Amino acid sequence: MKQYIIRRLLQIIPTLIGISIIIFAISSLVPGDYITAVDNPTMTAEKAAQLREIYGLDKPPVERYFTWVGNMLKGNLGDSLVHKQPVTTVMNNYVWNSFFIAIFALIFSWIIATFAGVFSAKFQYSLFDKIVTLVIFLCMSLPSFFIGLLFIKFFALDLGWFPVGSMKTSGLNGSTWDQLVDIAWHMVMPVTVLTMLSTGGLTRYFRTSMLEVIRQDYIRTARAKGLKERTVIFKHALRNAMLPAITLMGFELPSLFGGAIIMEKIFIWPGVGQVYLESINMRDYPFMLGFTVFISVLTLLGNLLSDVLYGAADPRIRLK
Amino acid sequence: MKKRMSLLLALMLLTITVLAACGGGKTAEQPPSQGEQQETPPAEGNGEETKEPPAEGEDAGQGYFKAEDPSANPKAALNRKDTLVVGMTAPKGVFNPFYMQTAYDRYVVDAIFDQFFALNGDGTYSNRLAESVEVSEDKLKYTFKLKPGVTYSNGDPVTVKDYAFAMKVYHDKSYDGQSDLLSVHIKGGKEYNEGKADDISGIKVIDDNTIEIEVTEANAMTKDNLGTVYFAPESVYGKGYKQGNLEYMKDLHAKPVGSGQYVLKNFSPGQEVVLEANPNYFLGVPKIKNVIYKTTTDETKLAMFQSGEIDMDMVTVNEDNVEALKEMGFLDINIFPTNGYGYVALNHKDPKFQDVKVRQALLYGLNRAEIVEIIYGPYANVINVPQSSESWAYTNEGIEPYEFDIEKAKQLLDEAGWVPGADGIREKDGKKLDIHFSATADNPVIDALIPIMTQNYQELGIKLTTETLDFNAIMDKKDKGEFEMFFAAWGLTPDPDSTVYITDGQQNDIGFSSPEYDAAMKKGLNAFDLEERKAAYAEAYQALNKNVPDLPIYQRRDAWTINSRLSGVDITPYKNFAVDLYKAEIQQ
Amino acid sequence: MSAETAPLKTNLPVPKKRPDSPWRIAIRRFARNRLAVIGLFIVVFMFLLCFIGPHFSPYDLYDYNKLDKNLPPSSKYWLGTDKLGRDILLRMMLAGQISLLVGLVATSISVIIGATMGALAGFYRKWVDTLIMRIADIFMALPTLPILIILGAILSDLKVEPSDRIYYLMLIIGVLGWSSISRLVRGQILGLREQEFMQATEALGLKDRRKIFRHLLPNTIPIIIVSATLGVAGAIIFESSLSFLGIGVVPPTPSWGNMISSANNLIDFRKRPWLWIPPGMCILVTVVAINLIGDGLRDALDPKMKK
Repeated sequence: MKQYIIRRLLQIIPTLIGISIIIFAISSLVPGDYITAVDNPTMTAEKAAQLREIYGLDKPPVERYFTWVGNMLKGNLGDSLVHKQPVTTVMNNYVWNSFFIAIFALIFSWIIATFAGVFSAKFQYSLFDKIVTLVIFLCMSLPSFFIGLLFIKFFALDLGWFPVGSMKTSGLNGSTWDQLVDIAWHMVMPVTVLTMLSTGGLTRYFRTSMLEVIRQDYIRTARAKGLKERTVIFKHALRNAMLPAITLMGFELPSLFGGAIIMEKIFIWPGVGQVYLESINMRDYPFMLGFTVFISVLTLLGNLLSDVLYGAADPRIRLK
Repeated sequence: MKKRMSLLLALMLLTITVLAACGGGKTAEQPPSQGEQQETPPAEGNGEETKEPPAEGEDAGQGYFKAEDPSANPKAALNRKDTLVVGMTAPKGVFNPFYMQTAYDRYVVDAIFDQFFALNGDGTYSNRLAESVEVSEDKLKYTFKLKPGVTYSNGDPVTVKDYAFAMKVYHDKSYDGQSDLLSVHIKGGKEYNEGKADDISGIKVIDDNTIEIEVTEANAMTKDNLGTVYFAPESVYGKGYKQGNLEYMKDLHAKPVGSGQYVLKNFSPGQEVVLEANPNYFLGVPKIKNVIYKTTTDETKLAMFQSGEIDMDMVTVNEDNVEALKEMGFLDINIFPTNGYGYVALNHKDPKFQDVKVRQALLYGLNRAEIVEIIYGPYANVINVPQSSESWAYTNEGIEPYEFDIEKAKQLLDEAGWVPGADGIREKDGKKLDIHFSATADNPVIDALIPIMTQNYQELGIKLTTETLDFNAIMDKKDKGEFEMFFAAWGLTPDPDSTVYITDGQQNDIGFSSPEYDAAMKKGLNAFDLEERKAAYAEAYQALNKNVPDLPIYQRRDAWTINSRLSGVDITPYKNFAVDLYKAEIQQ
Repeated sequence: MSAETAPLKTNLPVPKKRPDSPWRIAIRRFARNRLAVIGLFIVVFMFLLCFIGPHFSPYDLYDYNKLDKNLPPSSKYWLGTDKLGRDILLRMMLAGQISLLVGLVATSISVIIGATMGALAGFYRKWVDTLIMRIADIFMALPTLPILIILGAILSDLKVEPSDRIYYLMLIIGVLGWSSISRLVRGQILGLREQEFMQATEALGLKDRRKIFRHLLPNTIPIIIVSATLGVAGAIIFESSLSFLGIGVVPPTPSWGNMISSANNLIDFRKRPWLWIPPGMCILVTVVAINLIGDGLRDALDPKMKK
């Protein structure tokens, strides 16, 4: 196992090189650059040329690639052109806000999906199963901004339970505790909506693998042994049904830090998703590339993690 | 897969404001909304001492609409007795007068820093830090006198040495901000920029309060360009400065020190900027103690007004929004023309657009009034000259309105030699009249523009192929000259001088040329008398109107919505709320 | 059946029926599943509605009418009109042409590539697994947005007819989406290949191709179907965000996603539900129907299921 992990970690290196070449190629193929994106109506051609020179945009792509990679190896991702700050500083400013809502949504959605999946599999085609299915597809059929607006209308405007958006009440000068409560209050709606959105897919996966497992011989055996139904389902069946979930778990790692663009927009949550989107629209390549590399590393680690867990969870699989 | 999809899904929503946030540069003042990211309205331009009020604009679609029912004000707003919350797209945190680039960072800088001049509502300037300004007879020497006794928020006195230092920064080789002081032609500026001199020879500090600046070339904008440099203490911003290296400035973006109305108390990226009144402000302590710039988005602004979470914000003007705001009752709405316009560009290197009759036919044959009416109702108007109706240079004298007239358009095409072929498409010399049209996809106008243009031009016998493209992709095509016809929106500077239509002008990507227009523009730039300039620009616009370099479509409206509990908030198309923020008051 | 078969029966004492192929069994099982048949019926109905319906509409795609802005449903406009006075019913049907195709084609591409790659990786393991999974990693890490922007610019430079660009879009959405399916399938196959029935195939000396496509992949069908149904809904909504990149549909051509997105404010939301309910219902109904078919298919193809 140890050897396997080391080998996989080593494999990350060529994969990352591949990714870096591809994303750099993409960034240099995208039409326009930061200067065209800013589109300053009074900028003279000399000024534009001067800025391109300072930003190194006038150099051939191959040279720029090696400069970029060289700096990255030294831990320097460059400065964001929009924020005029090191890319790492900008990421640090926004990533954690995204992480907080993502981690809560992750926990809630996995718990809910596990129960919903198990019960709708156990009682397949029952009324409960049908309702769960319908709700899931309802959440999936409407774009998420729509569900967000729905929440704002009912819970913020009509009922007045929660604030419309943002992370804290402006002008509130309470104790640390008051401020934490205030932030928690602001988190309720975005976390709920995010949970709703990610629960749907998970529940379907859990339900399906549960259905598979329930039909297996060893479950019949367990029942025949006279074990309690609850033990059969939660101890024997669920453990095996969770196997495909491990792969899904690996996908969650990058999304924890990647930001939920729509939710951040609707609920004015100061997350990194919007900053990333803006970096693309503004052709802020240092940030765009830096953040993509960051997410790529997390993707690779997430996949590695899920493979390792998979091997640990299912003794039949021999990882070599 | 799902995660990445949701990421993309946001795009449609997001480009709207995110791009808008980036419109700026030093010139950005009013944040453009709804996809007109190209409009980068004024700031540092010009305007003369006198200016006539705009001739047009008495329609129901603009003006100041007072709140009808101030008593409907939500509690949350009323309870904030010494705090004003202004909603806007998130500032980026570059609160450094040398480097800020979005309109929102500019709002912060305008509240914290001061200049020799301050903007008036009509786009002209009056003295702020300046006591007096003298201009030499030949317009090449400018002597600014500073008001005495002004201090920065760190206690240091404000002196003209700070001004001289600021000029060095702007002329430094490694300066990568958006301001372009090199184009003001200060004597010795170029040498400093190239590293051939350690000082800018044209700038002479006479004493702590007097400075003399010499330029090699002057035009109508020189004085205002010189007077609109922000004062920042050299003791802070010059610490560690070496010619050719401005790296250290990065650390100062989040820690502004100025002499202005407010000081920065706290900045939470993406959330809010908290400002506190400067108790030593030289024009008097600002009347509102705390001002918070809070991040908002288009989708939920109205909801935040309703819940009282914000007091002021810029709202996209359309019939729905205005109606909803008026319904709330406790909001003042200030609607004014946007400093920019939407247009359809034609590539003059393309032979089919070289004939002025074809261009005129395209304009006559397009029902612009219908497009504007259907999208904006009363909140936009068809334009015929590339200038805001609010500008002193605007004219409608001798301007042909090109009202929709399909017969006339057909006749013009016939005269130009394009005659209908067997399939109804016009042809000339065996070539069919087909046009490839690219539109910026995130502008609400294209919803009406594309179907109406397709139908109109089909009737004219033109085959139109339409695509929608990413804004930057269109700008890229424009820069390379590889397009036939595209739709975009364009920002205006307060001064009418521009290189967009001048023969081989820097921004003339369409390849238009008219000697008549070039001559008039030159006259306008080099005249120092406003009446003389007005006459020159009228001539220039008449030349454009006759030659139809592109198809001007509309000028829409911007609006600031202000809670009626506030008074003294001064906003015009040229002047943002932050310039005179210290005069604003909360009524009790 | 007929008289001709009767004499045969008397002559030959062989089984009553020819042994059915697995496919026939599957079809029969599927046809017996009431819900699945309903699902199939709905999808067929949606196709007919969207592709034939517009021919019966009195309105045209390019119509607009400023006098009939934002009207609620009436006898003249059965589902009301939008902000340009266009008939929602017609737009909903035209939108379906785009959305149904995008959803189904893009998802099919992802599933076919993903399932094959995942099966190969899981079955052969060793360097095949390493190679395929690292490629999948790279695909997962690719920033989709910039790729689509480039694609839009290239298609524009090549002057591809705007109406044809949607096909490239389906292809790209499909190709970019295979990696997560392949990881799921591979994970399953890693476990399945260690089970007893695979030892049996080993003993029988079956060819690899047969082992993979006849014995391993059918066992992963449940999870593939879940991915596919989720993918259809995702792709339909996803498309709506792409118009402005120049590779989605060009206005006035609608899609279900962009019809909903154009009602993205609280005012339309509250006052004009006819703008978003029809396209929203279409997506919902389609997704549920496809899911019913999926469940039916799974039950029909499941070798362990005996009825």
